[in-house]
Amino acid sequence: MHIRYLFILVFLLFGLVACSDKKESVNNYEGTFTSEKGGTLIDAMSGEPSNLISMIAGDSASSAISGNIFNKLIKYDKNLELAPELASQWIISNDQKTITFYLKKNLKWADGHDLTSDDVLFTWKLVTDEKTRTPYGSDYKLVDKAEALDPYTFRVNYKKAYAPALDSWASLQILPKHILKDEDINHTFFSRKPTGSSYYKLTQWINGEKLSLEASPSSVMGEPNINQLTSRFIPDTSSQFLELIADNIDLMNINPIQFARVIPSRPDLKNKLALYKELGNSYTYLGFNLKHSPFNDIRVRQAINYALDKQEVIDGVLLGLGEPIASPYKPGTRWSDQNLHPYSYDKNQALKLLHEAGFNDSNHDGILEKDGKPFSFEILTNQNKQREMTAVLIQRRLKDVGIDVKIRVIEWASFVNQFIKTGDFDAVILGWSLSLDPDQYNIWHSSQQKPGQFNFIGYNNKDVDQLLEAGRTELNPDKREKIYHAFSKILLNDSPVVYLYAGYGLTAMNKRIKGIDSPAPPAGISYNSYEWFIPSTLRRNEITP
Amino acid sequence: MLNYLIKRLLWMIPMLIGISLISFFIMHLAPGDITASESSFNPKASEESRQKLRALYNLDKPLMTQYSLWLKRIVKLDFGNSFASHQRPVLWETKDAKGNITRGMIQDALPVTLMINLIGLLIIFALSIFLGVVSAVNQNRWPDRLITIIVFVGFAIPGFWLALLLMYWTGVSHSWLPISGLHSAGFEKMSHIAQYADLLKHLILPVSISSLGGLASISLYVRNGMLDILQQDFITTARAKGLPENKVIYGHALRNTLLPLITIIGLSIPGLIGGSVIGESIFAISGMGKLFFDAVLMRDFPVVMGILTIGSVLTLFGNLIADIGYAWADPRIRRGISN
Repeated sequence: MHIRYLFILVFLLFGLVACSDKKESVNNYEGTFTSEKGGTLIDAMSGEPSNLISMIAGDSASSAISGNIFNKLIKYDKNLELAPELASQWIISNDQKTITFYLKKNLKWADGHDLTSDDVLFTWKLVTDEKTRTPYGSDYKLVDKAEALDPYTFRVNYKKAYAPALDSWASLQILPKHILKDEDINHTFFSRKPTGSSYYKLTQWINGEKLSLEASPSSVMGEPNINQLTSRFIPDTSSQFLELIADNIDLMNINPIQFARVIPSRPDLKNKLALYKELGNSYTYLGFNLKHSPFNDIRVRQAINYALDKQEVIDGVLLGLGEPIASPYKPGTRWSDQNLHPYSYDKNQALKLLHEAGFNDSNHDGILEKDGKPFSFEILTNQNKQREMTAVLIQRRLKDVGIDVKIRVIEWASFVNQFIKTGDFDAVILGWSLSLDPDQYNIWHSSQQKPGQFNFIGYNNKDVDQLLEAGRTELNPDKREKIYHAFSKILLNDSPVVYLYAGYGLTAMNKRIKGIDSPAPPAGISYNSYEWFIPSTLRRNEITP
Repeated sequence: MLNYLIKRLLWMIPMLIGISLISFFIMHLAPGDITASESSFNPKASEESRQKLRALYNLDKPLMTQYSLWLKRIVKLDFGNSFASHQRPVLWETKDAKGNITRGMIQDALPVTLMINLIGLLIIFALSIFLGVVSAVNQNRWPDRLITIIVFVGFAIPGFWLALLLMYWTGVSHSWLPISGLHSAGFEKMSHIAQYADLLKHLILPVSISSLGGLASISLYVRNGMLDILQQDFITTARAKGLPENKVIYGHALRNTLLPLITIIGLSIPGLIGGSVIGESIFAISGMGKLFFDAVLMRDFPVVMGILTIGSVLTLFGNLIADIGYAWADPRIRRGISN
């Protein structure tokens, strides 16, 4: 008997490849719908949030959830400009050293307590407290004096004008004083059982399985359309994709192959899934160790920049789903200068510059030499498929101009500790975020080169130093714009890194979710997720409580 | 016998210290610590705040000091708290002054893993013994060949690939089984019987995949053991005195074949708390494999050490149980120990 079952099982295994398609569901997703309240949206997360107090957490899963629960004083709007959130307005003093925030009236926490400037002051004290386990304290420690003048006014004083201050207040989530005042912020139930003020409140969190949020009736932001958000923790993206196809989850981040090939080629999937792309928040670059010869020669760096075909990398690695960039800022925002253009692919220009720098193929082996030494270097990167593929394309293009490249892929912690911190590398492929605030002092200023600091490539340019210092003390957006455009121009010419691409964030969403802005604004599709809605005719058969 | 037991138990203490010492140092040989995780490569996080974190976790102290601090806690059965930002207890839940409970990480991960592995082990042994006996009795005829081919194919197929195919087939093409996770939506509102049925449905694929790889070794072990025994004189005697073939095989041959399996069962005990990282990721089951793997990647030392300690205790006890079980089942061994 058992043997027979086993035989059947085995034959089924081999027959699997030719499995049949399920019958189509009868939902008609097209047509016009008007927004209505209610319904549940289920998404999938690869990692589980660790701590919903965002100043302590630092992982993206945690901030995705806590962003729905907590508010900040100010926020970035759909065009990534600063806009009111808890504060209805903010005023910068003439000497640019004092910022006064005026809170909206009648703000409430989800438990009914009043939310006042006292809570803001309390949160500031927490984030600057020596005992708090936060990696993000440094911006707030620059505040010389913080005070709650009255329940609706919060004022901060800086010793000297600090432009990224506004960005820091747009990322600090305000915590309730009345609950946390006697708690040890590092070990508190609050990190997994928070009380916030924003659209949703946490109703359920099953470790390793899922987490549910429900619309909060006392939300200071008004009531969102979708009543319940459930996030399932599914580490494997292939499994997520199967759940999406089977209609068990409504949205997930997908990869370029799924976006450009799998879904468009299957009518059943195309019928029920809507695809969205938005510019992501990071870019990938090839960075040189500027302390190593020959990368200290600007002609060599520019030559390599000319020798690389960025569009080829975007097409090959991202299937075209990315953009070349010419500055470390998000295209479409005011900080990114539209007059700057990436280095075009120009092999002859690259060869010319290399010859000028003294490289010639004197022994005709296909590799350039200078002073008898062949031009050969190693590119390091961490275990990231896209970066590995990029490295291979770079290797091939540089071989065309006579540079021999070796590739080495290393686990992240070793990568940082043994190579980045010690400066023991020729070139790296890594990513930086396209920060919302233009200040990039930590990455490019010549003073930031100690082990563990972020100018590990050793970039050193007096003009850039001055611009970065000026940009840090100027709070007027128009004046800042000029400063950072000038900075971007020098950076592009100096070419301490080769900007490779900024990839799109890709989302597949079940068409039952309506009200999504497409094409996505610079802030991405989720900026108005509280306006998304699920028409009742398209909802799942939800089990009613 | 009692002396032997006490001696073995006492021996475990230096063994455990040795194991923990070696694991502790090997773990610290890997470069980096919790502050070097990928999310911390963030220009907003300054080097000085990372140094502060390192000091808070005692990571700036010499290794020997760190080890003795750990040892002092562990003898009180205090496994400490995770270095991750949730700071959950490694082993068991704690309660704060207001009665809020924080569940332990191993406490959450262990039951699932244990359940899958126990069911898996049961299936592996039951099926392997059956297949091994059928193979041996039909040596070199078609049932033997077929079984050998099947168990080796099962052994060789990459589990994650088969898992994805099965998930697609049973979950997407046909809605027979759930795709991933352990519970359906609305599990809390089901009746008890429906809850068990739901859990069982979710377990079918993960358990089948995790058992498939184990069939090959044990069924071959049984087959070869059985072939050995079948050629011995007492089997010939049994047949000669006219016992029915069923009795010869299941009454005499099988019982002797099973003796060495006791050792294998004993050695499987520590494996019960280990899960497969890939299997758990694919089926979205948060068990011990994923917990350990993530902890190693994050350099979350208390969690790594906690799991290694429990693993080594179980290994030592597993060995002991195997030896005792063997002595209990086989008088020849028993006599050896008493002497």
